[in-house]
Amino acid sequence: MSESAMDRITKKHTQALRQGFSRWPKEGFAPPALGDLRWTADLILATWLQAEVGEPPRNGLRYQVGSSGGGFDRLRFRWSPEEEWLPDRDSIDTSLQLNRRPSGPRITIPVPWYGAGMSFGSVSEQVMTARAMAAQRWDTFTSTGEGGYPDALIPYREHVITQIATGMFGVREETMQRARILEFKYAQGAKPGLGGHLLGDKATLAVAKMRESVPWVSLFSPFPFHSVYSVEDHRKHIDWVKTVNPDALVVVKVSTPTDVDMVAIGSYHAGANILQIDGSYGGTGAAPEIAKKNIAMPVEYAIPKVHRYLLQEGVRDEILIMASGGIRTAHDIAKAVALGADGCVLGTCELIALGCTRCSNCERGRGCPFGLTTTDPELSLLVDPEWGAQRIGNLYRSFQNQLRKILRQLGLSRVADLRGRLDLLQYDAGNGMSHEWTSEVVPALDGVS
Amino acid sequence: MSSYHRYHIETEPIPNLAGHPNRFVVKVRRVKLAELLIKELLRERFDLAVVASRPCVYGVFSRPIGGFAPKPQFCVGCLRCTVQYPDVVQIHPNPARLELGDSFMTPDQVDTILYEAASGRVPVRGAGYRGPFAGPGWDGLWTDMSEIVRPTRDGIHGREFISTSVDLGSKPAFLDFDSSGNPTGATPKTIILPIPCLFDPPPTTVSDRQVWRAFSEAAGALKTLMVLPVRSMLELALQGPQFAPVVTPANLADLDRLSEPPRMIELEGWQPEAFEQLQRAFPKAVVGIRMPYSDEVVELARRGVGLLHLTADYHGGTGRGFVMDAIRAAHESLVAEGLREQVTLVGSGGIAAAEHVPKAILCGLDAVALDTPLLIALQGRFRGECADPLTAEVEFPALRPAWGAQRLCNLVASWRDQLLEILGAMGLREVRRLRGELGRAMFHADLEREAFASIQGFEG
Repeated sequence: MSESAMDRITKKHTQALRQGFSRWPKEGFAPPALGDLRWTADLILATWLQAEVGEPPRNGLRYQVGSSGGGFDRLRFRWSPEEEWLPDRDSIDTSLQLNRRPSGPRITIPVPWYGAGMSFGSVSEQVMTARAMAAQRWDTFTSTGEGGYPDALIPYREHVITQIATGMFGVREETMQRARILEFKYAQGAKPGLGGHLLGDKATLAVAKMRESVPWVSLFSPFPFHSVYSVEDHRKHIDWVKTVNPDALVVVKVSTPTDVDMVAIGSYHAGANILQIDGSYGGTGAAPEIAKKNIAMPVEYAIPKVHRYLLQEGVRDEILIMASGGIRTAHDIAKAVALGADGCVLGTCELIALGCTRCSNCERGRGCPFGLTTTDPELSLLVDPEWGAQRIGNLYRSFQNQLRKILRQLGLSRVADLRGRLDLLQYDAGNGMSHEWTSEVVPALDGVS
Repeated sequence: MSSYHRYHIETEPIPNLAGHPNRFVVKVRRVKLAELLIKELLRERFDLAVVASRPCVYGVFSRPIGGFAPKPQFCVGCLRCTVQYPDVVQIHPNPARLELGDSFMTPDQVDTILYEAASGRVPVRGAGYRGPFAGPGWDGLWTDMSEIVRPTRDGIHGREFISTSVDLGSKPAFLDFDSSGNPTGATPKTIILPIPCLFDPPPTTVSDRQVWRAFSEAAGALKTLMVLPVRSMLELALQGPQFAPVVTPANLADLDRLSEPPRMIELEGWQPEAFEQLQRAFPKAVVGIRMPYSDEVVELARRGVGLLHLTADYHGGTGRGFVMDAIRAAHESLVAEGLREQVTLVGSGGIAAAEHVPKAILCGLDAVALDTPLLIALQGRFRGECADPLTAEVEFPALRPAWGAQRLCNLVASWRDQLLEILGAMGLREVRRLRGELGRAMFHADLEREAFASIQGFEG
């Protein structure tokens, strides 16, 4: 097939797809097979719309919560009386200082979130680049995931976290030294305690080269780090990366076991700047189905547990807690902060913004038919990095606006003031399916019926 | 020379015998499709390579005539086609799937079991969890994991060395020895199974001998036990070391007609004289009591019963709540009386998915006797509710025992591998350590109370 034919085929499909992403949220009904209890059809379509226009929908799509019947879906805010609302929303501070320790670089991001690790191999280089471009434009971060550091990300190095996971794929001194933040992935919420698994079909030549492995052979990341079997080992691990890159902040990404509070205090004493708690309902490129529901606790329960324990230990203000694994909406972000997190790490919602339908076929054959979780050279062309960065950026804008609106209606001028304010939450004693989730006033959008 | 032998289950792909509803229905408006193709032909100046390029990468719209005769059996529900061409194609969940299973066994669980039985593999998919946050029964329990503790430091994950063997039978709390060092009192009387899963018999309404033979062959291949009434053994001429006959006080004599003494016998209900008689007649066999969940567990353990097979209905109903709670109650009552190590708890009923096995063991069972999942693996279709083992009706395709046996082996292999995933995540090196490890269990109600108690509106 000639190059031009390939170009025309890609153009035909990308145009049709983009028309679909734009049209479906405005149809008044959803594709019949779209959505599930966590990511309802409304949530997916609302995310597509936000990625297009940068504002939440006004056409009845339920964009605040899903229908899982628990966790974030059972919590809502106790708004202040209207006379106590702040006069304007734009001056509300949503920034987050990432280093709470007395030493080390000061890094502040304007929104209380950054992008989660998604490895090269689990997603395409185009998707990684789009996410990095969005992170740069929003002065926040995205993470490489464990599949190495593609050269395409180097222009965005100031906003790319280098992840060090158990497989050590593509981890080199230069990739560690070029990052302002280094992230140890101990565990992943969607498959806690199981390590990583990239199926052979996705280990293409490029992926294998990046990971220094054999093409078309499945790759396992062991669990855990075979050099870490204690908190003391953990400390040595952090010492190692600080030796390689003394100026980097260190993220420790863990899952949510019953003793997640002990894990947190151990990470604090080991020297971590940021603790990322990855709940069991998080995303993945491939995981045994048995792991997704049944191992480790949802992040909604882990956040207050860790927050309270670190408060009791008197170290809460020296370490940042970032929640991940099931953060879908701006409301989820605000609720996570109210439960005790400082901010959130976003993964799946960014892929939804790029067109993911949550069909769960990421690992199958050539990978994602939308060009997201794939390394197929044809399919990956469906995502243009500039288009993707714009959509993720739009989603961020919508999230920031919603977060400010929530804070305004709670009478809070800084997102930091929301941290641990369980008194501002209301538990829905019904079945968690109530539609009366918000009284916030959202302005009408031009062009959206 | 080492006698170590790593347990392994041979699996092989065994496709379904009977038809199974596709997950999705593909609806194409053919006139709209024709219009689309004409527009594309004109726009692309008859470049057939571009026009014929279809949105589906799974072959639903493949040759010879593409969307005019779609192939829904290939549809995985990615929805790319309907996103691209909303006016031309729509994908619907197949309503025929709703007829699978019953009010306890969900269509998704049926689908999963059929995949496991056909492939022997662990279901692996992308994206995150899609279901309810939590729920009643097993869905209200999460297992723990460990960030750093591993079953062993050997191997990629360590799970290669995890043991799934369990002991069935009685173990005295201590041993007595005479002056020569010979044991004088009770000694352990156990049998070891390589997996914590036994087979319970099919419902009594199932008369297809091929089904019973499939169960029998699979139990033998897996080196586990098939529990079944002694009368059925005799009627169906099923004999061998893989059978654990169930007897009533009225038909103890039937055991004499077996070709070889059984390794394990279950007495239906507690009857002290019959129990003593069985112990005397079969001194080498583990003799247990098969009974519904009840408060008698402690008393029977005190009276020397070394194995209790506690039964719920197929939906996990026990007459005293869901089986998960009944298991916990039984286990904790034995622990409270210091009797737990002296009795083996086997449970049946309410197991519909791979994750239910480790959860049942975590709550206190030593081993699980599988029932309805085995029927599903053989493509059994429930006729109405499948809850009562005495009345449940199941329809099977015409099957050969060899086909069925391999399907059952595949299912158990898949479930064992998934058990290993859980044990690996928890850092446990053997399934025996999982039993009753309630400190590593996280119950929805407890977590919710701990996390949300101070939130207004929470009532616990």
